[in-house]
This record gives sequence, C-alpha cells and structure tokens, in this order.
Amino acid sequence: MTTDHPSFPIPLRSDAAVQRGAALRFFMDGEPVEAFAGESVAAALMAAGRRTLRHSPRDGAPRGAFCLMGSCQECLVWIGTRKQPSCQVAVAAGLEVESLPWREARA
Amino acid sequence: MSAPVPLDLLVIGAGPAGARAALRARSCGLSVLLVDENPGAGGQVWRPLPAAFERRGDAPPSPEARDGDALRHELRRSGVKSLFGHKVWNIGSDLRTDVIGPDGSRSWHPRALLVATGTTERVVPFPGWTLPGVIGLAAATILLKSQNMLPGRRTVVAGSGPLLLAVANGILKAGGEVAAVVDIASRGEWLRTLPSLTGRPDLVWQGMQWQWRLRAAGVPVLYRHAVRAVESAGNGFGVRIGPVDASGRPLERAGVERVWQADAVAVGHGLVPGTDVTRLLRARHRFVRERGGWIAQADADGRTSVPGLYIAGDGAGIAGAAAAGAHGEIAALACALDLGVLDAGTHARLRAPLASQWARSARFGHAMAGLMALRAGAVAGIAADTVVCRCEDVTRAQIDAAVREGARDVNQLKAWTRCGMGPCQGRTCGDVAGALVAAQVGGREAAGFFTGRAPLRPVSLAEVAGEYTYADIPIPKAAPL
Amino acid sequence: MSARTNNTQPWDAVVIGGGVMGCSTALHLAQGGMRVALVDRGPLCREASGVNAGTLTLHMTRAALIPYAMRAWQMWMEAERWLGMGVLATGVPGLTLAFTDAECELVEVRAKARREFGAPIEVISPQRARQIEPGLHPSLLKAGYCEIDGFASAYLTGRAFRHALTRAGVTVFENAPVEAVDSGDGGHAVRLAAAAGLAPLRTRRVVLAGGVWIENMLAWLGVNIPVKVLINQLVVTERIRPVMRTVLSVASGLLSLKQFANGTVLIGGGWQGEGDRERGGVEARPQNLVGNMRLAAYAVPALSEARVARIWLGLEAETADAMPIIGDVPGASHAWVIGSAHSGYTSGPFMGRILAQHILGQTPELPLFDPARLLGMPMPGA
Repeated sequence: MTTDHPSFPIPLRSDAAVQRGAALRFFMDGEPVEAFAGESVAAALMAAGRRTLRHSPRDGAPRGAFCLMGSCQECLVWIGTRKQPSCQVAVAAGLEVESLPWREARA
Repeated sequence: MSAPVPLDLLVIGAGPAGARAALRARSCGLSVLLVDENPGAGGQVWRPLPAAFERRGDAPPSPEARDGDALRHELRRSGVKSLFGHKVWNIGSDLRTDVIGPDGSRSWHPRALLVATGTTERVVPFPGWTLPGVIGLAAATILLKSQNMLPGRRTVVAGSGPLLLAVANGILKAGGEVAAVVDIASRGEWLRTLPSLTGRPDLVWQGMQWQWRLRAAGVPVLYRHAVRAVESAGNGFGVRIGPVDASGRPLERAGVERVWQADAVAVGHGLVPGTDVTRLLRARHRFVRERGGWIAQADADGRTSVPGLYIAGDGAGIAGAAAAGAHGEIAALACALDLGVLDAGTHARLRAPLASQWARSARFGHAMAGLMALRAGAVAGIAADTVVCRCEDVTRAQIDAAVREGARDVNQLKAWTRCGMGPCQGRTCGDVAGALVAAQVGGREAAGFFTGRAPLRPVSLAEVAGEYTYADIPIPKAAPL
Repeated sequence: MSARTNNTQPWDAVVIGGGVMGCSTALHLAQGGMRVALVDRGPLCREASGVNAGTLTLHMTRAALIPYAMRAWQMWMEAERWLGMGVLATGVPGLTLAFTDAECELVEVRAKARREFGAPIEVISPQRARQIEPGLHPSLLKAGYCEIDGFASAYLTGRAFRHALTRAGVTVFENAPVEAVDSGDGGHAVRLAAAAGLAPLRTRRVVLAGGVWIENMLAWLGVNIPVKVLINQLVVTERIRPVMRTVLSVASGLLSLKQFANGTVLIGGGWQGEGDRERGGVEARPQNLVGNMRLAAYAVPALSEARVARIWLGLEAETADAMPIIGDVPGASHAWVIGSAHSGYTSGPFMGRILAQHILGQTPELPLFDPARLLGMPMPGA
C-alpha cells in the first residue's frame, strides 16, 4: 500500500495501558492492512503509514484525517456503496475500503 | 416512511450533558430517547475505549476514564433507551426528528427536544494546515485516549487552551516525543486563571504534574508563540514557529522565526459550540466570544426562543465538562416542569443543588473558555493564499475579495465563493470565515452565521430513499402544459 | 457608488425588486439612457433568483413561452458579454423521461405542443436516449430530446448582475425595504422603511419586480391581482464522479436533474415544502424529500450513492392562468410590473429586456403579457 508517512515504519500504537482487540486484516485500495479489532479505519491507516486519503477539489492538494470526530469530512472513504468518514468506521476482518481517488479511477 | 413515534423527550448527544439529562428526565418519569452518532455515550471528554479494547490491570484508569465508565454503567442500568451509531439528519419545526442508522430511516415526534451536541474544534488556518499529518488538538486527544495511538513519532503541539498540556502529556505517556508546546497565551494569562481553580486541588495537582513531566522530558514550552507554516521537509515537516502579540498577531522581527522538525502537528485554537440544530430550527442566537462564539439564546435552564427546544452543555456556551452534566440535569428538570410532570416545589428543590454545582464547576470552564477564545490578531494574521474553507479550497484572499465586492454577510459570501458549501457544511470554517467577514463589515453580528439547513449530517440518497419501486414514489399533480 | 446618498433630482426609473427580472430591467433601462435606481429589501438575487435550480430548459417551459426561453437561453450562454461576468451557463442537451405508459403519452403531447412554438424537441427511443445518456435507468420507455438545454449556477447571479449594474451606472440600494409607493401627477415617491435611513425616492417611473411579493406591491398602487406562492424544495449533493451529461426531467414535470462541472448534482422538480410569503421557505416536507430523491435515484441509479450536502427552499410565483405578468400596471400611469414567468430564471434576462424596450418607447421584440387580463380572474382552487 502506498505509505506517505515520512518516517514510516514507526510504531505509533501505544499498548502500555490497553490490550487491543484481536489482530485482523482489512483491505485498503486492494492491499492488506494489519489492524486490531476496535480501531477506527482512519487510525489503523495512520498507524500503517497511509495518511493521504483524497485530494482537495480545486487545488488537488493531498488531504487526510483531521478532526477524527466525524465533523470535517476530510477522511472520507468508500465502503461498499456508502461514502463515510473513516474515523467513524470500525475495522473488521476482510473489510474492503476504497479511497475516493481509487474508486473514481476505476469507475 | 413509517409514522413518527411519539415520546416526551428526545436528547441529541450522549456526552456528559446529554447523558445526565436523559437520566434525570427518566427519573422524573418522562419517556426519553438518547441519540448519538458515536458507538457509545461519553461525548468527547469521556470517549469510551473501543469495546474490543481492554484496560490493562496494572494501568489505573484516569479520573476521566472512571467518570466515563460510571456514566455508561448508570445509563445501561437505568433503562434509558439509547440509539448509538445513529445520525439525526433532519428536524421539523414541530420537533419531529428524522434519524438514520444501519437499519434505515426512522422518525420520532417528541414533545420536547434537548440538544447537547457539544463543540467542534477551531483551527486558525496557516499555510500547510491541510497537509495530512496535521490534526486537531481534540483529534489528538481522541487518538491518544480512545485509539491509544500517537499522531507521529515527534509532534509539535500548538494552539491555545487546556488541551495543549493534556495532549503533550498524553503523547509523552504513550511513549512519543513532543518537539515543542506552542501556546498563543502568555504565562501571565495562565496564572490569572488560578483563582478559578479554588476548590479544585485535583486540577491544580494535575496541572503541576503536567508541567513537571514536560520539563523532565526537556520539552520546550513557547508562550506567546504560534505556528506560522508547516512545510513538507525530507522525512517529516518543517514547522515554522514565531512570536505573537496578545491579540495573536504574528510579530515581524528579524531572526525570531525558528523551524522545528516533526512528523506530526496537533493544533487547535479553541472550541466552537455546535449550533447546527438550533440554527436549523431558527432559534435566536447571540454572539459571545468568551463562550466560544455564536450560541442559541437561552435562559439559565436551557430554554431557547423555540418552545420545547432546550440546550445544555458546551454547545450552549463553553463552561467545561464538569458543568455540562449539571447543566444537562437542570435542562431536563426544566423540561419536566414545562411538560407538567413536575410541580414547581419539587422542581425548585431538585434544581437548587444542581445550580450550585454548576456555578462551582463553570468557574473553571469559563476561565479555560477565555483562554481558548478566538483572537482578532490571529485572524488578521492569516496569510492571503491560505485555504480557509477546506472543503472547497477557498482562500482568505478570495473571501476578502468577495466582501470588498459586496458580500456583507457570511451567507452572501457562501453564495459568491462556495465557502461553507462543502460536505462539512461550514462546521470547520464557519467561525473563522465569520471573523474575516466581520473585520470588514463592522462586527460578528453584522457578519452573521450560516443559515441552518438539513441535512444535519451528510446522508446518501439511498439512506433517505430506502427500498422502493417506481410505483412507491408519491407523485403529486403534474406541471401545467 | 455610495448606497446611502439620495439626490434631489428625481430618478427616471426606480425598479423595486433585485431578482433577475428587476436586475435585467434596470440594466437595460440604464443602457437605454435612463437614470435608474434599483431597490431590494435584501441583497441582490438572494431570493428565487439565487436559490433556484438554474435549469435553462425548454422541456419544462410553458409551450407559449418557448420563443422567449430560447432567446433568454442565448443571453445566458453569452452572459460574459453583456453582464461582464458569467454564471457558468452551460449548454447541453435535455432529455425528458418516460417510465410508464402515461408518461409516454405526456412526452408525445408536450413535445408536440412545444414544437409548435419552435422548440427543436423530438421523441426518441430508449436506446437512443441511452446513447446520449448512458446512466439512465434500464426501464426507460421513451424520451423527449432537445438539443437546446442547459443550466447555470443560480447562486452566482447576484454577483454577476451587481458587476454589470455598477458598470452601467445603476444605483443599487440593498437591504432597503420599500414600505409604499405614493403616486401623484408626474411621478411616484418610493417610501422606504425607517431602518433603511433613506428619504423617499422620487421617480418618474416605477417598475414592480418583486417575485412572489408582486401581489403586495400591486396593492401599493391599489391594484388587486392574486399571485400564488409555490414553495419549491431543492437538494444538492456533494461532488461525485461524472454520472450524467445532460439536463434530465421526467414527463410529469416532477424532476429536474443536472450535474455541474464541479461534480455536484442538483435535484429539483417543484416538490412542495412548507412556507409562505411572509415567512419564506420554512422547511421541507419529509415525504416530498423522499419522493424527490427516489425519483432522482430511479432516473439515474448511480445517484443513489451520492450524499446530500444541503436541502433548501425557494419561492416561486404563479398567476391565475400560469402565464407571466409583464406590462403596464392597470389603472396606474408610468408604472409597470414584471414577474411570474414560471421558469422565470430561464427567461428572466430576456423578459427584462423586452419590458425595458416597452418602457423606453420601443416596440418589444416579442409581445408582453398584459396584467389587465388578470383583473377579476379567479385563482384556481381558491
């Protein structure tokens, strides 16, 4: 998967205080992403080094998660037929997530 | 569409204010429905751990985590009907409320509606604020407390208000690095909030601990400074930081700017009360800078100018999480009184201790709100080609030009530039855009606020339309020839 | 131009109402040499003219108005030339769709009626319709096709006209509500609300261009003509990938659908919401939202994935015979009225031009619509 975190791979998960849910794998733009049950898709993607999720409409500038509370709509992804903020979607084994540019390129 | 289900009170928002309001209303004998788009109660400040996560035995929960767990436990035991993971997308002038969830669209018709939707974060734009890897301070809090994740290996934490120290410490505690804490406020402004901490030794202690931990980790804390720009640089960001004056305006002096290396930035300049619902229902609003900006006009019990519509919590004006719970209960009591379920005597008896509790708690919340209020110089200092409306890529220069050409309020600005027309529905840019217009038209009241419109959250045509055939479409009379 | 000065010389004409009709009339009067003031109780083009669907179609235009709409279509497409600034007017073909036998019948009847007035509309097969518009629902039975169709971004109209009016020397008074018009020999005095801070505007001629408020304005001159108010619901989606390239409607007239260059899709069709002349549009009717969206998602199935960004309401005027009211105010002198053209945005620029021609003493390019015919005509259903 294209990663654009400048220092990737660096571990961003902090497990000092919690035991995460079971390890699982979901798919982002067709590629597997390792994550843990309970995480949001946005957070799991950030931890996997994938920060850029789409491009802004007029300037084509890279955009990714910003408010993490379902308000700013910057972290939108396609899950099936629904466009949703990825910060509001929990990862699930086998979940197929597509970024907006990916889905558009294949339409 | 099925007929709306009647009930006494519908509460939107299950943070401290909404959840406590729902509990109190139920204990008064009202039928209550609590709706929140999040998977559980707690709002932002008491956001639950994901259900699949487990707290480690050797890591004691923070006071916030304990309070949040206690609230969720009480809700479950109480029998308050809760709808989580559901979005309220439309409300009629008769308070009929349309909700969309995984199983489709449903409606309720409450006799009263209590809005406790809290706040959203405000960020004063700077070049590079839209780069992936720059997130809000509240966003960083969610990442740290709920997802137990760091924003980056080395983060610049910037902006104003109590979240600065909380996020910086959260990062250190989670094993990350803080490049610097960049605070618009001065040390003096912080010291002047100390009187508001009387009776809150726990908060004083926490503040001191936070300061010590930052010092021990060698984290520079730069008062009266702000991020001027974030640029991609090699394997990270170059974060340009410089001094500001008391109004937040950047000070231009040779050699004062420094560039810090980091791979993440957490930035936030305060919280803005969410007025989506009250604007949609055409309640009267007033602008109160020290409480976050535009808020619905309401009495001390949360009654707005619209009969049957109540507000509580930070969405009614920032007063902090501790005050929010009391405010929610006060509003629920007012609703019970107004619906004739409580007599005046009982109401007064139950209200009195809550009012004292609110007054005690709000003192600190108000002091923090003052630190977080939007500063005029910070707005004035926004660079011309900086994007202000993220959804539509509208820059400061385009906004200023439209106002010069005759757009005298934010709705005219929206029509001429598309600022506020994107998917976030003006939540991210609205306050700053309003301040920019206000600077040219003589004040925030003149500049106004975005007219409230449905949907309150984006909903797909499929979600609204549901399952249907062509024959199901109710065709009214055809157009004349 | 300072909005708060008030000269002692009477105006040649004061136009009351700054929507597309009033703006166009004022602009053409000024270009004809008159000293013109334009007054609106709010900002220019913020009522119907700024919030309508922007459809520039012949399919849904009343048959008798086709010649007017065709000329106005040309004006919108050339807006940069005569307004100095465009409204992103885009010419694309228009299809009106039939999914049932009854709708097929309607397509034939409506196409024939419009052809008689000069519209190049032909009835085509579903296969041909899908060649033109691949995303149509597979159950399409028949379609009306018109190569002259299109859309504009209505919300840009105010900015464009403001620019042109300033250049033409029209004095614009925004946020200046008019309370009354006092008529005497030789002219009128247009009295404004105290809050506007303006002395009455003395003028030789007055033009009432008040949209749904024309009924109130005519009453100022002692004329009683009822004007019905329609409360139209509109829905716009977020930007989505290209899913359509024409302007679409349904034969019943209850759908208008277009996708702008920026990817957003505007859904209209005249589904009614709640509101009135006094309060404006108050709120949408949920069953009408559902119906409108179902029709849109049926016609173009790819739309079902689109998310709604905003829902709003616009007020539209309709006279007793559903035809425009454009011409001399009956029983008054040097007073004219313009509006109620039903699809008034489409024909607005041209209607303003021909009224201005009439007021300037020229023969208008096409006949006006005598307001006197409406005196005493009962409103259907009233």
